[in-house]
Amino acid sequence: MGLDYAAVKEEIRQRMTTETIISLMSILVFPGAMFLFALAFFYEWVDRKFFARLQNRYGPLHTGPHGILQPLADFLKLLSKEDITLHASDRLLFILAPIFYLALPLTTLFVIPILDPTSSIAFEGDLIFVLFTFTLVIITVFLAGWSSVSRFSTIGSVRAALQMLGYEIPMGLVVIGPAIAARSLSIRRVVEWQSLNFWMILLQPLGFIILTVCLLAELQFVPFDIPEAETEIVAGWRTEFSGRKLALLRLGKDLELVLASALIASLYLGGSQHFWLIPPIVIFLVKTTFAVMLLSLLRAVFARFRIDQVLSGMWKYLLPLATLQIILIQLGLGG
Amino acid sequence: MSHGSIIKIPFGPQHPALKEPENFLFEVDGETVVDVKPRLGYNHRGMEKAFELKTYIQNIYLAERICGICSHAHTTCYTQAIERLLGVEPPPRARYIRVIIAELERIHSHALWIGLAAHEIGFDTLFMYVWRDRETVLDMFEMISGNRIHYAMNTIGGARRDIHADMAPKIVKGLDFLEKRLEYYLDIVQTEQTILKRTADVGILRPKDAVDLCAVGPTLRASGIENDVRSDDPYVAYDEIPFNVVTHDGCDVLSRILVRCEETLESVKIIRYALDSMPNGTIRVRVPMKVPQGEVVSRVEAPRGELIHYAKSNGTTKPERYKVRSPTLANIPALCKMLQGGYVADIPIVLAGIDPCFSCMDRMAFVDTKKNRKWVWTMQQLRRKYAKE
Amino acid sequence: MAFLKEALKQLFRRPATLKYPYEKLTVPKDFRGRPIWDIKKCIGCGLCPEVCPSRAIEMIGKGLEAEIKHYVDRCMFCGQCAEICPKNAIRMSEEYELSGFDRSKMIYEYKRDH
Repeated sequence: MGLDYAAVKEEIRQRMTTETIISLMSILVFPGAMFLFALAFFYEWVDRKFFARLQNRYGPLHTGPHGILQPLADFLKLLSKEDITLHASDRLLFILAPIFYLALPLTTLFVIPILDPTSSIAFEGDLIFVLFTFTLVIITVFLAGWSSVSRFSTIGSVRAALQMLGYEIPMGLVVIGPAIAARSLSIRRVVEWQSLNFWMILLQPLGFIILTVCLLAELQFVPFDIPEAETEIVAGWRTEFSGRKLALLRLGKDLELVLASALIASLYLGGSQHFWLIPPIVIFLVKTTFAVMLLSLLRAVFARFRIDQVLSGMWKYLLPLATLQIILIQLGLGG
Repeated sequence: MSHGSIIKIPFGPQHPALKEPENFLFEVDGETVVDVKPRLGYNHRGMEKAFELKTYIQNIYLAERICGICSHAHTTCYTQAIERLLGVEPPPRARYIRVIIAELERIHSHALWIGLAAHEIGFDTLFMYVWRDRETVLDMFEMISGNRIHYAMNTIGGARRDIHADMAPKIVKGLDFLEKRLEYYLDIVQTEQTILKRTADVGILRPKDAVDLCAVGPTLRASGIENDVRSDDPYVAYDEIPFNVVTHDGCDVLSRILVRCEETLESVKIIRYALDSMPNGTIRVRVPMKVPQGEVVSRVEAPRGELIHYAKSNGTTKPERYKVRSPTLANIPALCKMLQGGYVADIPIVLAGIDPCFSCMDRMAFVDTKKNRKWVWTMQQLRRKYAKE
Repeated sequence: MAFLKEALKQLFRRPATLKYPYEKLTVPKDFRGRPIWDIKKCIGCGLCPEVCPSRAIEMIGKGLEAEIKHYVDRCMFCGQCAEICPKNAIRMSEEYELSGFDRSKMIYEYKRDH
């Protein structure tokens, strides 16, 4: 039996009220998926330009004014290249991994307030959801490297999993800080609390520093870019991806950058708030751009650590400091 | 350490850590390197055979192109060898010009290497800064010799071009700038925590091993052994110019970085002294086209270590046999020793630590260890054996 | 963190990159670019083809009727030909933008006009 097309059309026409269209648009276009993709490309450009200026060179220059279209050009070029799936690889995981790597940060960005202090989707506990996404992303990285069976990929993915053991716990501990201050596990409430009081960074500067370091490790930026260390293991877990899959991986990495800087901006710098007559989204973009530039700066002034040094450093220094921050909050200093 | 879990990782011939192709087979247990087997010869171009087919004048340019960064060292060694066969001494001014160019080349090579070492440990910013400052040296070369690399300043019997009086102020200005920047980099390397963590106690080469395995150049001097051809066996004008041989006792990659940084500062001093006390006079003497029969060994201190050329002439305008032994080949056994017991993550920086120049290095020799025979194939034998394939 | 001050200082300096080909550096005097023959001074002695290390020079004919063919794709710009010419007929010019797509077009011929 086929579908009853007339009945389906009638159903759609009844449900497709203006409200539904607006929410569909807000999820798909603004401030939804398309806007987030554009933001991802924009922040990749900011990162590359700032990193280049720190190194006394230009960065992208000729594609579009000041090279702003360069990330889009790179993405389109990669889409048109040959996409090789290895014989020996685990086909299902190999094909799914880039898709998950793209979809996870994209979904998580919906819980962060962008347009105004109320976000598209908010629920009590979405802070934990964000942490959960970060863990899932690293597991996807591990599976991506493991399923492309080459030597370099396996080393890279094992290193990524090892690195996760280092920073997950301090990050989880420190992120609770703003939640305690705002008496809620929802990012929206944290942002609202900051617009009523003051920026969280003034109360918990130690937490800010620890979160930035852990996010550097999450994003696999220098000094923690061990899983994809170019000079040691070619491209680590990304070695065997090419063409469309590599395009998705790069876009996923940019979205992760947006997520990380949006998290820093929302939890510690006040996020999307009202300021005189300026729309909150502009404030949000300014703060997130600042966070991106901070991550770029840290990327430029350090050399790469070795994996054993990362783990020992994280467990010897970051974890005690994170615990200290929580203890300080409990004692009343900072929330 | 269980033997069942040893993985073999091939490094090269194409690898982002290697600037030139070479193959190393690493046997790795987890993250520790257990054994290294190098396989050389990917950059073999048949230079030694080509030397026999060209005249002595044309061979200057062939010798220059054995390597891009140590090109002046190769031509100095070559012209020195042929001048000894001819019984000719280059005039004093030519010898000073050779010293100045050689030391400028040393600064250039070490600066390039510092940038590369920074890139190997992931420190791209330092890499960009050092290579930007290295452009000053290249501009000086362009002004003196007409080209940035392959300066072709040497000819048999002296120098081809003169360093005029109006060039000296510009060179001194460039040297002042370089000295300031190099002192800053020396300071950074010793204070930046991430560099120290990656290079201290990495790639250890004990002094006894360094001497036993015949290491040369900064690799040897970083293990505390004072050995430098410029002071042991002075050539060109080094017997008239005072300088220090830089050594460090650390035996690790950090010491090698420090030795090279300080050698560049020494080179700046040598160039200043040479410019001030350059004698006047001609820059070349006329030499005949045919070289009398004889054989000679000549050695110079290239930026990477001791470079040896051997020449055999038979009275014609072309050499009969020419042999080049470049410093990287001498450092390879020491390299294998350094890598054993280290981490996989340290491989690139230790490899970069000996400043490998595989283009200089690859010459073919056949060794049959069972019959204890060593021989070299001539062109006819190779053609006969492989022409049918 | 020792590097931080230096890195931040770079933000206020002009980048060191040259926007080639929109900006070009002038080459210094005595730069070794493409060698150019002055065929009127050439006496056809044959020294330059003999001394060229890469066999990039071909002399057609002899003596005062000789013509020169220079293969720029083989030339290594060493300047040995200019050095050895007894009549100073060869000059190293400033041209260095000599790339092309077709090797047969990268030949410079110096003919005599009668």
